[in-house]
Amino acid sequence: MTEDSTKQIRFKVQRYNPEHDGTPHFQEFMVPSSQSMTVLEGLIYIKENLDSSLVFRTSCRMAICGSCGMLINNYPHLACHTQIEEFHSNTLTIKPLPNLPIIKDLVVDLIPFFNTHKSLKPYILRQDAEEMGNPTAEYAQAPHALETFLQFTYCIKCGICISACPTSASDKLFLGPQALAQCYRYCADNRDEGEQERIPLVDTDHGVWHCHLAAACSEACPKGLDPALAIQLLKRRLVSRAVGLGKKQQPSPVVLPPTEIKPKLPFPEFTVKGT
Amino acid sequence: MRNTYLRLLQLVTGILIAVLLGIHIVIMHLDAILGFFGVDVNDVTSWGSMIERARQGIWAGLYIALLAVVLYHALNGLRNVILELTPSARTERVVTWAIIAFGIIAFIGGTYVPAALLAG
Repeated sequence: MTEDSTKQIRFKVQRYNPEHDGTPHFQEFMVPSSQSMTVLEGLIYIKENLDSSLVFRTSCRMAICGSCGMLINNYPHLACHTQIEEFHSNTLTIKPLPNLPIIKDLVVDLIPFFNTHKSLKPYILRQDAEEMGNPTAEYAQAPHALETFLQFTYCIKCGICISACPTSASDKLFLGPQALAQCYRYCADNRDEGEQERIPLVDTDHGVWHCHLAAACSEACPKGLDPALAIQLLKRRLVSRAVGLGKKQQPSPVVLPPTEIKPKLPFPEFTVKGT
Repeated sequence: MRNTYLRLLQLVTGILIAVLLGIHIVIMHLDAILGFFGVDVNDVTSWGSMIERARQGIWAGLYIALLAVVLYHALNGLRNVILELTPSARTERVVTWAIIAFGIIAFIGGTYVPAALLAG
């Protein structure tokens, strides 16, 4: 961090300790920023040099784990995936993700979010319980079948879509874009036969039909997913079932793995220790 | 699938409102355009003309259908808004039954005159 390339950025961070504070308040820190520095690096600088009591959640630093979702200048971002210079401002306002209960400072309680996700059975459900329990082979899936839901498998469960969603803000019982998109992801998977079990869970007063299609989730998603599209496709599946139209999805067959497996190429000798 | 059917009906009633309300607006307010096509509706907004239309099955049916689809579309939409803003199982039951009761009373009130004219 050279002298001429750094500039001071004012971090206005929302602080809240439910054990001592009645309401959240802001605390300001001056952080030396350099080119390509991320907001997360700024927060780490504060914790290491200015105030070790600042609490935030972080892990991978490469937009994979989904831990560092927070509201930066009033828009939900992953702090590790957001560079300070993107904002063209000398002041950054950092708050915890909205629509989720605050545990402390920038850390929100994601347990209700994960519980909603789990309630929609986000895993492959099959009629052949014996094959599921003791698999003898593989479920075949063609590439074009995978493409119908592939993008939704990239969800990192960061909670940013929930915090951007206006319906989640007004309806606390709304299932939310993440869970609904994952419901579609598994219903559209031709290895899955659990649609019948999931439909009653999303066809409720606070389920799929409460999405207003604001598409704020798709705009905010740091992985470029389109949960709003998944919700629309889920609605289409529901209507198709209700009126008896549409092609019935056939469960993928069980196929034996290829008999001849090509052996993996050995590591180049210079990479193997001791050679 | 209850919510799916309710939402599907919301879409269908929306389309029906566009058609039925379109007919109503053309008849009531666009007599100049109808005159251009050679249709003479006389003084369509007068009391006598209205009673005359209510005695004809096709007109009475059109307006009763319009009332039914408007009531469903408006009240189901209102129910969705209320449930979103006050989410709880108890509110849900109270709001649903209150809206059903209001809808039935409004429908009976709105269809009483044309039904009586048709009958007698």
